[in-house]
Amino acid sequence: MTRVNVTVNGRAREIDVEPAKLLVHAVREDLGLTGTHVGCLTGDCGACTVRIDGATVKSCSVLAVSAEGAQITTVEGLAGPGGLHPVQQAFWDEFGFQCGYCLPGMLLTACELLEDDPDPTDEAITLAVNGNLCRCTGYHAVKRSIRCAADRMREGS
Amino acid sequence: MITRDFAYHAPADLGGVTAALAGGDAVIVGGGTMVVPDMTHGRTTPGVVVDLSRAGLAGLTQTAGGEVVVGATTTYTQLLRGGELAPLLRRVAGGVTGGPQIRNKGTVGGSACYANPSSEIPAALLALGARMRLASARGVREVAAADFFTGAFTTERRPDEVLAAVVLPSPDGPAFGYHKLKLSESSWPIATAACVRGPGGWRVALGGVAATPLLVTIESADPRHVRAEVARVLTEPWSDVLADGDYRRRVAPVVALRALKEGEAS
Repeated sequence: MTRVNVTVNGRAREIDVEPAKLLVHAVREDLGLTGTHVGCLTGDCGACTVRIDGATVKSCSVLAVSAEGAQITTVEGLAGPGGLHPVQQAFWDEFGFQCGYCLPGMLLTACELLEDDPDPTDEAITLAVNGNLCRCTGYHAVKRSIRCAADRMREGS
Repeated sequence: MITRDFAYHAPADLGGVTAALAGGDAVIVGGGTMVVPDMTHGRTTPGVVVDLSRAGLAGLTQTAGGEVVVGATTTYTQLLRGGELAPLLRRVAGGVTGGPQIRNKGTVGGSACYANPSSEIPAALLALGARMRLASARGVREVAAADFFTGAFTTERRPDEVLAAVVLPSPDGPAFGYHKLKLSESSWPIATAACVRGPGGWRVALGGVAATPLLVTIESADPRHVRAEVARVLTEPWSDVLADGDYRRRVAPVVALRALKEGEAS
């Protein structure tokens, strides 16, 4: 076992993991944050997306032991209890999800995009979500949700 | 999950990396986007994993002689945000599929060493005439990109060596072109062409169409000339689930022509 110190959603945590443990499993099993989903385990689907030091990553492709010292944000860290982040609210209002499996990854990816580019082009939105596979919505509602979030966040700023 | 335990090392510098590799049986993790899923699915079962993420190998620098040194763990995102010294590589980085999560983690060196025929970095390095800087406890050697890619998923790198950097002989300047054919937004490419203007014409490297990237020199973007030159080098086209070799043989010259068209307009 290796002791790993991380800051998760603003809170310092210590976990003991085998080097072979994937970050997605450590997040769910050791940190108890099950909003991060296990999908393909090949780095394709994006359901396991978390942010490490601000950058989105697919946590199935990261060894938990490599996260020593990292700041990790999961979907649970987007908004306070009972509230919704503007991106979550936009996905709710625009029906940007159906089954919800891909949703945590979509939300984190959308947040990273809008922090980098508050007024993204349609092409930039498409490029941003091409690592998050959704098999329900056909992406129209996803892209509409991100556009809605961008507009609201700019108006609110 | 990864079902086999392994020893894990994340050395703080290149010397630590080469020491950890000296036993010769380690698997190197750069960004992890390919190797970690391979471990999950049992395609590789290392006893030792050496993680490069803390070894300080990322970033672009220019030498006094004008060469551009691209650190092996430079990510696609780093190229997009600060890749002015390597505009062709930056262009490639912008189109890498898999989303920002992959662009944030995937590395130039990792793509080169994994040597997937469908990866885009190997052909771009070939077009640029890059040298691959390999370090081991025995010392440092450089191998031309043209000699580095020895087959599908195989390279000239020895088990105790790490790719520390790729060296671009000169900034590639504005005269380059790039084109990629893929059939869906999140697909691997089926064929790529990177072209860089050189003294004898365009250096055109074809990616995705054979086990290794292929280099041709094109004097002019005349379609008959391009078709003949591509056909001359593309003797054993690559087949996989995306496309069979015959399809790749047909599209390769078209992809090359589109890259050349962009290059000539640059």
